[in-house]
Amino acid sequence: MNATATAHPSAALTHQQRSLLLATLAFIFFTLLPQFWDNDGDLDSLANAMSYATLALGLNIVVGFAGLLDLGYAAFFAIGAYYYGIFTSFQVMPPWSESWAPLAYVGLVEKINQGGPDLVHFTLSFWIALPTGGLVAALFGVLFGLPVLRLRGDYLAIVTLGFGEIVQICARNLDWLTNGAAGLNGVQGPKLFGYRFGVHAEPYYYVGLVLVAFLVFVSFRLRGSRIGRAWMAIREDETAASAMGVNLVHYKLLAFAMGAAFAGMTGVFFIAKLQTATPEMFNSAVSSMLLVMVVLGGMGSVWGVVIGAVLLQMMQTWFLPQMSVWLHDIGKMTGSPMLQNVDMVQWTQLIFGVILVLMMLFRREGLVPAVRKVAPLTMEQQTAHVVRGGFQGLDKIGRWTPGTGVALDIKDVVVKFGGLVALNKVSLQVPEGGVVAVIGPNGSGKSTLFNVITGLVAADSGSITFQGVELLGLAPHRVLENGVARTFQNIRLFSNLTVLENVLIGEHARLTTGPFGAVIRPPSVLKEESRATEWAMNIIALFGNRLTPRWDQPVTALSYANRRRVEIARAIASRPKILLLDEPTAGMNPAESLELAEQIKSLHDLGLTILLIEHKLDVVTRLADNVIVLDHGDKIAEGLPDVVRKDEEVLRAYLGRAGGH
Amino acid sequence: MTAGDILLQQAINGLSLGAMYSLLALGFTLVYGIMELINFAHFNVFMVGSMIAMLVLQAFGLSGQQTILTGLPLIGVLLVGFIVSMVGCGLIGVLIERFLLRPLRNVKGPAAMITTIGVSYILFNLVLLTLGTDSKNFPNPLPPIKWEIGGAVLRLREVLIWVIALALMGGLTYFVTYTKLGKAMRATAQDPEAARMMGVEVDRVVMSAFFLGSALAGASGMIFGLYYNLAKVDIGFAAGLRAFTAAVLGGIGNVPGAMLGGVLIGLIESGSGQVIGAAWTDVVIFGILVLVLVFRPAGLLGRLAPNKS
Amino acid sequence: MLTRRNAFKAAAGLAATATVGTAGVANAADKVIKIGLNMSFTGADAESAVRVANAAIMAFDDANSTGAIKGYKFEYVKFDDGTATAGQYDPAQAATNARKMVSDKAFVAALGPQMSGAGKAMAPILSEGNLAIITPSSTNPDITDPKFAAQYRPAGKAIYFRTVATDAFQGPNMANFMAKTLKIKSVYVLDDSGAYGVGIADAFQAQIEKNGVKVLGRDRLDPKAVDYAAVLTKIKALNPDALYFGGVGQAGVKLVKQSYEIVPNMIKAGGDGVYSTDILKGAGFPSFDNWYSTQASPHVTEEKGSEVFTTRFFQRFGSRPDDYAVTCYTAAQVIIQAAKDIVATGKEPTRDAMQAAIQNVSLKGSLIGTVEFDPNGDMKNKVISVFQVKKDAAKPLDDTESQFKYVGVAPMS
Repeated sequence: MNATATAHPSAALTHQQRSLLLATLAFIFFTLLPQFWDNDGDLDSLANAMSYATLALGLNIVVGFAGLLDLGYAAFFAIGAYYYGIFTSFQVMPPWSESWAPLAYVGLVEKINQGGPDLVHFTLSFWIALPTGGLVAALFGVLFGLPVLRLRGDYLAIVTLGFGEIVQICARNLDWLTNGAAGLNGVQGPKLFGYRFGVHAEPYYYVGLVLVAFLVFVSFRLRGSRIGRAWMAIREDETAASAMGVNLVHYKLLAFAMGAAFAGMTGVFFIAKLQTATPEMFNSAVSSMLLVMVVLGGMGSVWGVVIGAVLLQMMQTWFLPQMSVWLHDIGKMTGSPMLQNVDMVQWTQLIFGVILVLMMLFRREGLVPAVRKVAPLTMEQQTAHVVRGGFQGLDKIGRWTPGTGVALDIKDVVVKFGGLVALNKVSLQVPEGGVVAVIGPNGSGKSTLFNVITGLVAADSGSITFQGVELLGLAPHRVLENGVARTFQNIRLFSNLTVLENVLIGEHARLTTGPFGAVIRPPSVLKEESRATEWAMNIIALFGNRLTPRWDQPVTALSYANRRRVEIARAIASRPKILLLDEPTAGMNPAESLELAEQIKSLHDLGLTILLIEHKLDVVTRLADNVIVLDHGDKIAEGLPDVVRKDEEVLRAYLGRAGGH
Repeated sequence: MTAGDILLQQAINGLSLGAMYSLLALGFTLVYGIMELINFAHFNVFMVGSMIAMLVLQAFGLSGQQTILTGLPLIGVLLVGFIVSMVGCGLIGVLIERFLLRPLRNVKGPAAMITTIGVSYILFNLVLLTLGTDSKNFPNPLPPIKWEIGGAVLRLREVLIWVIALALMGGLTYFVTYTKLGKAMRATAQDPEAARMMGVEVDRVVMSAFFLGSALAGASGMIFGLYYNLAKVDIGFAAGLRAFTAAVLGGIGNVPGAMLGGVLIGLIESGSGQVIGAAWTDVVIFGILVLVLVFRPAGLLGRLAPNKS
Repeated sequence: MLTRRNAFKAAAGLAATATVGTAGVANAADKVIKIGLNMSFTGADAESAVRVANAAIMAFDDANSTGAIKGYKFEYVKFDDGTATAGQYDPAQAATNARKMVSDKAFVAALGPQMSGAGKAMAPILSEGNLAIITPSSTNPDITDPKFAAQYRPAGKAIYFRTVATDAFQGPNMANFMAKTLKIKSVYVLDDSGAYGVGIADAFQAQIEKNGVKVLGRDRLDPKAVDYAAVLTKIKALNPDALYFGGVGQAGVKLVKQSYEIVPNMIKAGGDGVYSTDILKGAGFPSFDNWYSTQASPHVTEEKGSEVFTTRFFQRFGSRPDDYAVTCYTAAQVIIQAAKDIVATGKEPTRDAMQAAIQNVSLKGSLIGTVEFDPNGDMKNKVISVFQVKKDAAKPLDDTESQFKYVGVAPMS
């Protein structure tokens, strides 16, 4: 959000300043808290709440950002926990040999003797374990993710539930490694410059606080970066995301690994504090509780999940016991034995269930929604004069320099769905810098043609080359990387994102920021981000003041025609060499259609190659150099618009008229 | 026991488990097929079913395994038990659908699935707060008839489970294949939009799917009780998870697939208990599930739908 | 805010005492001896937690109403180490509770926890605060094992006491009994994956092998699974003389039922985990008939004291006490005795004094015999009693006292 704020420093910056101020105040408050609140038990309780907050932050990356429902998230918590537990306790002690000496030198192990041969005792430092615990958990995240992330979302839910069980079963049954159900003995607490943390809650409280602050920071940095946008694109619409250049498997794995890393770090922290680990601490109830925290706070909302976690933890450990006490008192006063014996803590899970259901029915965005409300446009902005004609400010986006010859070459492509032949040996060519239109009745295979070009549908045979590169067999994001961008017939925007974010996702493949860059934000990343934003704003500005005043609005707030425009802007933002437009004027009134036709024409004038599906023949006539007619998967005609228009067979197929009248 | 006897006995064990899992898996698959929704509430609808069945049998004055019935009284009691638990669960399913899921029908994302998780929690804790966590001694009026086949033992209750499960599955298959409502269900599963245009009342179809699926869960609750003489508040999770795995294994949304998956999971469970160790059963089941999904993402009998873009 | 916290504590104490009904003769000027009761009131063990806590409440109320210690009265505060997150005891919450008790100087001793997993998280914290705790039911040997002293009593002194024998005795003594008295030649060992079950089964297995009995196999049951037919069929095929089960009711009920169906005639035995109302109620007869079980205490049930206890407990709380209610009642008596000993010498019952007094206590004639502790906090008296289920239709079928028949003392190794 930083970059957008710098681009348009009107409302966003104050909002950002306000949250930054609140965060700083909260941090100072919690830093000072132990000075005037010295109950070790309460501090410990808060440290536990912080652990849940960091876990919820991690789950939020998986569920909230990337939209992958992970029901076995506690598995990664367990992995981090046991990683630290095993390498700081006396659980695993291989026989000593000199090859351990270098590790002993750096303090990772020590030689001990318990009578018998010398043994290796692992003495991993907490400060090394914290980051490496995250890495180890991330590694397992990738390992678990690889086979299942290609599955559809619902399967993922059940398989993650299974992984949660498997990790717990392993912790329970691999006695040599985990000491099984009896739990690890002798886990060491952290040391810092000779200061032993020991059993008092206060030092752990501070570590927890720093961990929460750090992971909140990381979450925000990721969310506002190319990585976060790719995740949210996947959450909103996988198909559109991949067509816009997002490598689905790669980014889902990254989300899984990043979420796992948060959990792994929390596991290390949690076990260092507790100094024992038993398998029951990581059962499926923990995963469900974390899900409730994320849902309550608001999926995708960083502050929301932190608040959700703290609220639920407080409800469990403070509010419900307190309420039981009140009820007992009321019971005593009214002489009701039922009230005197009621234990509200036992109602916790029931309350969880009710929270889930009520939130889903009435407030799906959670207590602290991720998408903040944007002030509606002023009357002046809404009624602003709209400039008609071609695109505005084309000079800012440069020109295409088309080569000569054939750009897109489709040869004998066959696509079958079961017994249905959707495309039957279709061939067509789009010359460099040309505009070709595909027409045909509904179900004639036009959209399938686009899908097969962009890798969403596999072809049974044939070939599709673009500038000499074979596209068949490429994943959708690879097709986009080769310069082929598209729009969809039934608009596939990323609904809960703003106009600017949608357009920025179009640029995804042209940017390079990775997860580390996104978090650290070195000058190179800042520069790339601000350039990307500038470019996106230029593309948005092409549509005059139709979109520009609305750049910060969620696309759901836009009119139908404007959504079509955003989708086209998103496609142009990817700097395509060929643009595939699927019925771009559908749902527009004649004036709007004409306006859009003019705009497409101005792109063409800049040298962009265009393949177009269109029903409106006046639009086709105005734009296309060449027209292809499909019917029932067959190409039945090809030629200049005016020629095709008069073709008998086309009339019969397309317009449903009987021939020879 | 010879190796053959062991194999036979484990097959009998596995088939009985499989019959139960199949019935439960059908509920998942019916709802998923029509709404593409994993109904986590199903886990505990099943548990509630077994509690209802227990209360019904207790209402007949049965307690523990003390009273044995034969002939008409036995058939009568069982029939009433099945009908009440099936109708009771069916109604719970309908209520969940009508009031909690229908408002979310057109909401994208995991909202509906999360709602079912919440409902599952609510059902579980309502039973927990009213009936307690202890294991209940489920009344069982079945006479302890058994047959020895070599070293293996086949008991009346196993035969009964198979017969009832087969009858219910047969009934369901008939319903889905030949009745008007069943055909409407299949049509909706294939293409809700087209079905609506052809005059199918989607609301009614969805509600029927919930009723049928939940009623089958009620029946499996009763069967579960008769088989194990046990009712307990936490049976929903373990059995439900395996049944769901069965549905996915067979190809979710596919009725014969759910049956096949259930039987396979039952056999895997008894096989792994014999060969690998009871504690690792879940690892084996999920391992197989992941392998199947990697190589056949749509499950054993499932078919990948063409991408609707 | 501080006042609110104190108000909460006072209210919690009040609420706990509120369940008493009648106030004792203790007068308002009496000084308070504050005891923490840490049990798992939420989740899977909630019912048992209430029974156990009630036994302690009964002991303290008795002491208050009879004026057992002149000028002092006992006050107890309940701490719940169960959370909905864990669905049962939660070590993290147990650690929090321990810290709460330690940071409030008014607490001079504590009772609990029920589970060893919670005990492991609490022990180091209590040790630093030198706050003695007596557990009525956590039997994992690690916590009092001198080998792990650096971990579980970093401050040096024993603070984790038990009025229950550890698994290190119950399992082996039963193994001796089965080998020598029942004369079995082969056995199959099962556990329920829990800390208690695995520990006791491991100890049993090690000792029975020393007795020359063949262990035909060892398996671990998933307590959440419902079907144990597969593993029981495997056992049937191996045909051992006996089946030993380390575990508690959750898996126990299902195992008892299904083993009756599949291996009805085999000798079956378990630890104190199967000496349980839950299994009597959940599995019942005939499934449970003839099972052996042990108790980690000498058998005194025929004596009058026990009957009186059972009757009073039932009258007051409307439920029968189980075994751990008895050990918890005894644990509370130990605390009362320790305080009495201190006050008798004219000193204040502080934490340090209580730790020392509990360490040196000698409680005679309790429901489990004489209670004295060794330097690690374990009971010196480690008698393991053997029982067998024999249906007594004349008595309530879910009452352990009536349905378990005393067989004898299991021989020490």
